[in-house]
Amino acid sequence: MIARVGDVVIGVTREVGGIGVLMLQVLRALLPWPSMDARELWRNLYRMGVKSLPIILATAFFSGAILVVQSGIFVRRFGAEGLLGWATGYSTFREIGPILIALMFSGRVGSNNTAELGTMTITEQIDGLRALAIDPIRYLIVPRVTAMMVMLFALTVFGDFVAILGGALLGQVVVGVDTSVFWHSLFSNLGTWDLVHGLVKSVFFGLVISLTSCYFGISVRGGAVGVGRAVNASVVASAIGIMVTDCLLTLLMK
Amino acid sequence: MTIEFRDLHKSFGAQHVLRGLTMTIERGEVFFIIGTSGVGKSVTIKHLVGLLQPDSGEILVDGKPVHGLAEREYYPLRKRLGMVFQHSTLFDSLTVLDNVALPLRKHQRMRMSAAREAAKERLAVVQMERYADRWPAELSSGMRKRVAIARTLTLEPQYVLFDEPTTGLDPVSARRVDEMIKRLQTLDVTSVVVSHDLTSIFTIADRIAFIYQGQAHIIGTPEQLRAADDPIVQQFISGRSDGPMETPGF
Ligand SMILES: Nc1ncnc2c1ncn2[C@@H]1O[C@H](COP(=O)(O)OP(=O)(O)OP(=O)(O)O)[C@@H](O)[C@H]1O
Ligand SMILES: [Mg+2]
Repeated sequence: MIARVGDVVIGVTREVGGIGVLMLQVLRALLPWPSMDARELWRNLYRMGVKSLPIILATAFFSGAILVVQSGIFVRRFGAEGLLGWATGYSTFREIGPILIALMFSGRVGSNNTAELGTMTITEQIDGLRALAIDPIRYLIVPRVTAMMVMLFALTVFGDFVAILGGALLGQVVVGVDTSVFWHSLFSNLGTWDLVHGLVKSVFFGLVISLTSCYFGISVRGGAVGVGRAVNASVVASAIGIMVTDCLLTLLMK
Repeated sequence: MTIEFRDLHKSFGAQHVLRGLTMTIERGEVFFIIGTSGVGKSVTIKHLVGLLQPDSGEILVDGKPVHGLAEREYYPLRKRLGMVFQHSTLFDSLTVLDNVALPLRKHQRMRMSAAREAAKERLAVVQMERYADRWPAELSSGMRKRVAIARTLTLEPQYVLFDEPTTGLDPVSARRVDEMIKRLQTLDVTSVVVSHDLTSIFTIADRIAFIYQGQAHIIGTPEQLRAADDPIVQQFISGRSDGPMETPGF
């Protein structure tokens, strides 16, 4: 039992260490001059960001809507119509928006990224790059990390907006709170900091997801089975990483 | 300008693949490495570009050790020492043309259009210019191999390591590749060729190393190899299934 706990601790330490080392390598690749392959960057911005837009917006809309429907019971019971906009905005901007979108992003983009890099690893394409004297960190990893951080940020901006829209709409239709009351409550009680708080988080979530998914991708061993295992581990580790980062950042940015 | 392996040892877990490999490859020669499947030919040449590190022993290129370096220190070496992988390793996300253009863009600071022009010429050399806009996944393995050869040669390396360049090619394409290797020799390029192709071996090799049980069992010219009265070598070059040779796994 103790031995098994020990194994798990060692395993987790090794993965976290590996992700840390990858982060240092990425930073080093940005020296002395932060440049990267423009084509790789555009390709990843497009397939990671633009292609994720529909699913992210749909998730955001419904989460905003559900939030309002759930709290509608209390709003009616306590006559707290004037609080609905504030409550929806506060929880969406600070917490629900960034974290839900990050989890969706990890499921769609992070897993895809691990699978792609993993396949490149087992088919020796990464070694092929190295043999051509092209640094895989600089050519493959840096554009992916950049693209994921930029796109998760952008998607969170759009997602927040659509979630609030969903909340306002359902607030009117289901709970019976007029949209003007909703907007007034939102704008008079929330500051830019509430929005910024969540967006700062989203950038860090992007970093966590990108480094984790790249790390598991390039350390695949053992053929197609290994790729499957890596995708699995990557999604789980990203989710845990997002939660831990969220905790830390929420404490830090209080 | 030589490549030297000195008493190289390499194990994967309990499997002791290279067991004291020693051989010297001279400048300008076409040097073949032959041996049974799984004997460690690919492993041997991957050591030269730092994709694998030896457990013990030395590897010298032009007199300088090339083992145990940091990853960054290999990059200058790899520009002079090109490698064609056994499985081609073209990048799935780039077209055939962009695969060949990539090293030009990265190392010669060429613009995209100029790199593509140059890449087209490189593809023409291996008769693959008609497939420039295809994706690697749409090609046969022999076609991919020819593209991989073109890609490796873009940087005009002084040494080229070919891992089974003619495997999967039809006899006509295979002889064209042989001719290309011979032509490179006139440009003072040293080629190290891993091969099972007896025709190539006996038409273009200057010297041949026969690897057996992790060592260079015999090194010599094609004539010397033919004339060797070593039963294991004779069994290999005549392709008999019965004989003294031990083939682990069979
Ligand atoms: N990365 C690796 N991890 C574990 N074992 C390996 C690895 N690479 C090679 N081996 C083992 O080393 C041995 C030699 O492999 P290698 O690829 O050099 O064979 P080869 O001589 O090139 O054979 P072939 O002619 O079939 O290509 C094989 O038994 C293989 O199982
Ligand atoms: Mg091989």
